[in-house]
Amino acid sequence: MIQFYNVCKSYKKDAAALIDLSLKIPKGDFVYITGPSGAGKSTLLKLLYAAEKPTRGQILINGQNVTRMGSRQIPFLRRRLGIVFQDFKLLNTRTVFENVAFPLEIQGRKRMEVGKKVFQTLKLVGLEHKMNRLPLELSGGEQQRVAVARALVIDPLVLIADEPTGNLDPEVTLEIMELFKGANARGSTVLLATHDREMIRRFPKRVLALEHGRLIEDRPA
Amino acid sequence: MECLIYFFLRALRNMRQCPLLCGVAVGTAAVALTIIAFFALVVINVQQLAAHIGERVEIVAYLDSVPASDGLKLLRQRIAALPEVAEVGYTSREEAMTLFKKRLGRDADLLEGVGPEILPASLSISLKPDFRTPAEVERVVSGLRRDLGLDDVRFGREWLEKFEAFVTLLKIGGAVIGGFLLFAALFIVSNTIRLTQYARRDELEVMGLVGATSMFIKAPFLIEGALQGLLGGLIAVGLAFAVFHYFLHEALASLLLASASGSIVFLPLGFQLLLICAGVFLGFFGSITSLRKLVRI
Repeated sequence: MIQFYNVCKSYKKDAAALIDLSLKIPKGDFVYITGPSGAGKSTLLKLLYAAEKPTRGQILINGQNVTRMGSRQIPFLRRRLGIVFQDFKLLNTRTVFENVAFPLEIQGRKRMEVGKKVFQTLKLVGLEHKMNRLPLELSGGEQQRVAVARALVIDPLVLIADEPTGNLDPEVTLEIMELFKGANARGSTVLLATHDREMIRRFPKRVLALEHGRLIEDRPA
Repeated sequence: MECLIYFFLRALRNMRQCPLLCGVAVGTAAVALTIIAFFALVVINVQQLAAHIGERVEIVAYLDSVPASDGLKLLRQRIAALPEVAEVGYTSREEAMTLFKKRLGRDADLLEGVGPEILPASLSISLKPDFRTPAEVERVVSGLRRDLGLDDVRFGREWLEKFEAFVTLLKIGGAVIGGFLLFAALFIVSNTIRLTQYARRDELEVMGLVGATSMFIKAPFLIEGALQGLLGGLIAVGLAFAVFHYFLHEALASLLLASASGSIVFLPLGFQLLLICAGVFLGFFGSITSLRKLVRI
């Protein structure tokens, strides 16, 4: 369960990115966060994975108050979240395998377990045959699949995706969406920020619409 | 321990995966430390030469009348017993005449018919290294005059004062320029490492986003910085030795007018180790300062 209580976020004094946002997302839900550029979609997600702290209000994930977490606790929160970005954010000097293995390595998992889990996940996204390649040797769609694999390899409690298909063509977008649907079916809560109306139409789910930092619509699936 | 091995292997892998950045950091550390090594080579050799010249500081006591052999022996023993004195030598009238003739060379004929009695016998007194300052020499000379009744005692006061000033200047100049070079090396190397890590800020950000702790992110980079500094230090020592062996040895010998090129020495082992440790220090602390800014969770 994700809960936002009267959350405000301002980067500068007179420029609020989020204003008095309150919402609840039950466990296992699939939610689109939509709105025009500058509406506050990315800010909302950043608050969830504690890359930003709210100016006011409280955020709870599974009963844990994210706003009160110290910098030592934040890595342990992030180990339960899978995060996918529009620009993939892969480690370009490491192979596909190493990129996907990294979240498991930092958790101190055994090498055998890491190898097995990474292979399974790469198979899931259809890239097991390219595990020794570097990210920059892959197409944009493949790189995003690697990023999704990196997010899925930890069986995340919450899968957070910030415009994950923004740089991809429609065909690849469908592939990525299938991966998110699969993760959701396996129990992960999915929060996906997008302004792709076609995608929302094809995969109808709950929609939270933001505008100028305010929640203007909460439309159920 | 397992964790440490992981960090170490990660650091080695990072270096292999970013050879250009690694090369720049190692190269900068090597160049900066080589400059320090060259400077130290010059200072150490000049100091060595100065110490060698310092050994020539000598007091000469001329004896108007030569005492009997027992008296002379007793006088020499009394002088040698002084705490400041390292050695006492005796030059008889005959030896003095031989030396004089030798010095005159082709003009030695001028002394034909002249006996050794025209020259005084003398005692040459060399002092221990700690007492070769003008003030100490002056004190010893006064003692010789007062306590042993030696009237004609001479030493090169003016030369000694100039030499003392030169050694002081050398020490202060060496410390100031050496300190400046060390500071410059610290500044250059730490900033280069900072830049190489800045070029990898995206990597650091991604690590934080997937849940790596601050320590987990920093440790391999700190080890990498230290290894780069270590490599830089080793290259600097090697480079300094190669340049010393093939070029600097002869150049220094002629520059310092050292008659025997054997008196020109390479950096002592302790200094070589210090230089390598300085490389490790520069790499490690250069990394700490940049990581502190770049890794924010």
